[in-house]
Amino acid sequence: MHHTYRRDLSQVRALVLEQAREAGLTEGKANDLVLAVSEVAANTLRHTKSAGTLTVWHDKDEIVCEIHDEGMISDPTAGLRRPAPDASGGHGLWLVRQVCDQVELRSDENGTTIRMRMAIRPDAADGAAPPGRG
Amino acid sequence: MDLLTSSVATVDDSEPYTLVALAGEADVTNAAALRDVLEAEVAKQPQTLIIDLSGLRFMDSSALHVILKANRTMDRQGGVLALASPCEPVAKMLRLTAADQLLPVYPSVREASAG
Repeated sequence: MHHTYRRDLSQVRALVLEQAREAGLTEGKANDLVLAVSEVAANTLRHTKSAGTLTVWHDKDEIVCEIHDEGMISDPTAGLRRPAPDASGGHGLWLVRQVCDQVELRSDENGTTIRMRMAIRPDAADGAAPPGRG
Repeated sequence: MDLLTSSVATVDDSEPYTLVALAGEADVTNAAALRDVLEAEVAKQPQTLIIDLSGLRFMDSSALHVILKANRTMDRQGGVLALASPCEPVAKMLRLTAADQLLPVYPSVREASAG
């Protein structure tokens, strides 16, 4: 699935939720993925003047959401450490890294691509994923 | 149809409080509108401001920052800002950002108003 967005993040979230359910994610994991994609897409609106693209695909083991835009993230470790709760920014990528099973971030003069992966475990209960599995 | 709607009420309980009820989805595209609503109420210097999140399906970090800014002003004014009845995805986001350690989060408006 391929989608171009400029301003309508609600539509982006609806698409991700639909795909996540179709892929077989639990409701909790589906909501996690919706939050992650929405935070990354929000950065497109904050930091670029152009549209972003969302691509979603899945197989039986995982669902992957990829966001590409023309922005540039100079710090590849962005979001790896939790900002102070009352910090005026920086919570977005922290949340993305917290809720996704895996996050890949590539950024250069051609733009930024962030790939968010969520494992599909039909038997998994909602909540924190057990570390080191998968 | 607006993605985010808000309504404001002043409740004359034994301890009066201002109640802001949010419904819909709060994200970067309507964070400025949310800021306007909260700033207007905070400026009236209520002792207690409760934000009812029960109608809110989604909240992103932009909306959270607006709420945390309102919380800082309430703190300075000697008042209390409390959140009530977030749905599970919103509650989880408040936990992950540790925002729930900066301001009280209650399961219901009734419990929030009882402090």
